[in-house]
Amino acid sequence: MGVAIVGALVLFALLGPLLSSHDPYESDFVRGISADKLPVGPNATFWLGTDRLFRDELVRLAVGARLSLFIGIAATLIATATGGVVGIIAGWFEGRMLDAALMRIVDIGLAFPFLLLVMALAAALDHTTPTTILLTLGLTGWLGTARIVRAKTMQLRNLDFVTASRALGQSTPMIMLRHVLPNVAGPLVVVATVSVAQMILAESVLSFLGGGIAPPTPTWGHMLFEGQDYFTTSPWISLAPGLAIMASVLGFNMLGEGLRDALDPQKQ
Amino acid sequence: MRSIRRSSELVRSALAALALAGVGCSNELPAPLPSAATDASQPRRGGMLTTASFGDIRTLDPANVADGLVPQILESMFAGLIDYDVEGKIVPDLAERWTVSEDGTQFRFVLREGVRFHDGEELTADDVKRSVERALHPTSPNPYASYLASISGFARFVGGKAEHLDGVTVDGRYVVTFRLDAPDAAFLPLLAMPPLRPVCRSGGTRYVETWHPCGAGPFKLLPGGWDHGRQITVVRHDGYFRPGLPYLDAVRTLFHVNLTSQRFKFTTGDQDILRDFLSPDLLKFQADPRWKPYGEYELDKQVAGLAMNTEMAPFDNIELRRAIASALDREHLVLIRAANMRPANLPVPPAVEGYDATLKGQTFDLTAALEHMKRAGYAYDPVARTGGYPTPIPYTTYSQGIDEYMVQVTMQQLARIGIRLDVRVVDYAAFLALRGRRKQVAFGPAFWTQDYPEAGSFLEPLFHSRSINDEESNNSAFYANPRVDELVDRARHELDAARRKKIYGEAQEIICDEAPWAFTHYYRFYAQWHPYVRDYKPHPMATTDPTRVWIDRVAGRTAARAVFSGDVYAKLFGDGSPRGAPLSRSAGPR
Repeated sequence: MGVAIVGALVLFALLGPLLSSHDPYESDFVRGISADKLPVGPNATFWLGTDRLFRDELVRLAVGARLSLFIGIAATLIATATGGVVGIIAGWFEGRMLDAALMRIVDIGLAFPFLLLVMALAAALDHTTPTTILLTLGLTGWLGTARIVRAKTMQLRNLDFVTASRALGQSTPMIMLRHVLPNVAGPLVVVATVSVAQMILAESVLSFLGGGIAPPTPTWGHMLFEGQDYFTTSPWISLAPGLAIMASVLGFNMLGEGLRDALDPQKQ
Repeated sequence: MRSIRRSSELVRSALAALALAGVGCSNELPAPLPSAATDASQPRRGGMLTTASFGDIRTLDPANVADGLVPQILESMFAGLIDYDVEGKIVPDLAERWTVSEDGTQFRFVLREGVRFHDGEELTADDVKRSVERALHPTSPNPYASYLASISGFARFVGGKAEHLDGVTVDGRYVVTFRLDAPDAAFLPLLAMPPLRPVCRSGGTRYVETWHPCGAGPFKLLPGGWDHGRQITVVRHDGYFRPGLPYLDAVRTLFHVNLTSQRFKFTTGDQDILRDFLSPDLLKFQADPRWKPYGEYELDKQVAGLAMNTEMAPFDNIELRRAIASALDREHLVLIRAANMRPANLPVPPAVEGYDATLKGQTFDLTAALEHMKRAGYAYDPVARTGGYPTPIPYTTYSQGIDEYMVQVTMQQLARIGIRLDVRVVDYAAFLALRGRRKQVAFGPAFWTQDYPEAGSFLEPLFHSRSINDEESNNSAFYANPRVDELVDRARHELDAARRKKIYGEAQEIICDEAPWAFTHYYRFYAQWHPYVRDYKPHPMATTDPTRVWIDRVAGRTAARAVFSGDVYAKLFGDGSPRGAPLSRSAGPR
């Protein structure tokens, strides 16, 4: 089911803008506004209605999907790569100065609530773009991954095949690359999949609270924010991005769970 | 298997949340709460009027009107020599009458006798002079002070070279005279505003932040009546000089109440007047025939637009400014908040003296805008979409305000003449600081609300070169034109209203043509009240004047919600009513 939801989201992001001939940035002051000067609801012209600036909600949702998926996946790649490297190094050198230093950095980072940390960094940025947002999320989202990978590396480093490699004279970086990394890849993939959902959610929260990408770029979080004043009269403005966020978080979480079950040797 | 079960639980939870959201998504407005006796014409005494705001106040002193919400509370607590009535006409208040010398430089006020301050002391001419000197003294943070520079001796007094203000003299126990260096058309309008209103002797001769506010208005503040950041409750001043007034026992203003909460408080009767609306809610109230008779627009007192910093590129190019002013389709822009905004073509709003409907001002003309772009050196071909300004122009705005939406439509409109914007969003405090700082913000939103109801209140702070400062510059376009300066100064000294309007008209035409601002809209508030709130009419200057308002409310479930805690009730009325007792007087007649 997770695969189906994520697949549908990807398809929507890729093909969604083709479903509508409207410009995601252009207000339609003729057909997009009702007689009582409110956004129009879903109809044949605007399948998901219009937003508070009388723009096509569907095409903005699709453009927002591209952005949300791009930021979620790219930030996760950064976080996973950083967390993986730090985790393997710390786990390999367990108990030494390097491990202690890296883990204290992780401890300090984890002491701050993730969203608070992200918001503080975003607020400090002079100008927020998709790149700055994904870097902010990626560079603050690796801490948990590092902890998990470290624990797994600590288990692996004492196993026979690793000891044998050392006895055969393989260098430490080579052992890490050839023997440790493939063995932590399973949990890493599961963590990364769930992390995509967290990143999408974090980006949405950031945009909702005004710390995200500057308008008029559509992001799901900002679309949700824009719709809150209109919830009693034009609920589709909030419901569409709200459902999209929910579906994407649900999809990636379910995908992560499925992968975890699939990669769990005890279940096989 | 476990995964599937958990997934279906998640889906079920999500659907339940959606169903809840749907339930909460009611589109219907509840009916207004009726008055107890629909045909009652005789005002009844008693009850408490509750209003609310998303904002707050920091001070409560006529000498420091620091926040937009303050004047309406000051209006209920401090009476002035003169005041505005609900029609916007200047009328006597503490002064029984006044005379003006032929040359327009002397104003002689005869005070009512027997007026009592909240502390019981009698108000005399000495109190008027003391209060004026207290408000204009350099130690007082009075934002209005510079407007009153025409009073004789002002410069020496604020410069610390004189102990007293020569231009204000006491000519008897109940007579006070103001002398001006030159005729000043703004003097009476300014005197009718809160800053120079008499304060009790406890206010002393100098402004002190810790002073407990005390005046001669219809309501007074008792100790404990102001719960900072939450609410303020003022109670009836029984010694008020107008016999029988006010009718209300108390007026309560709640602070930091968000717009959605206000809407629900209002419809359930926990708030009597609603002014801060979510945009779609206001449209619904206005369209509902049950509510329509109990709502009214306040006067347009605010102009808004896009300020272009004339000291910074590319807006040192006058043709580019003209292009932007011509490219804005204001009829579309105001649809963003249709119930509150009206298209603006001039710097002075329609309700302000000096507005001239015959002036053309700035209008939407795409052909003219493209021609101005060509003259600016940035010709744009709208068909081929080539040319235009080569790089995105930085636009600085503040987060989560109306401009965040305005700018998105502005971008669409400016794209038609080949101008792209690079929007930078900062928080509101940072925006205000940046906007007023020299060479910091090239392009951004600008807005101004009148300090007094006269064209000079807009033209002088916004477009006079005297208003340019390196920091906190009100003239955020940093616009300087000697001819405009001269016209604005001349109009202020012109006492003939028709001639003054003509002078202001010429200044406005120059400003519209040179376009330091591209004017976008006038903003007007709308007030909605319940039928049981009687004789309420929005005040043209102070928003709410509760002096003649009375409550005629049906006793019942909603009426009983208006309760004081026993402690606060005891503090306010001193009768030791039991804790949680309903304010029975709010439910109807005594």
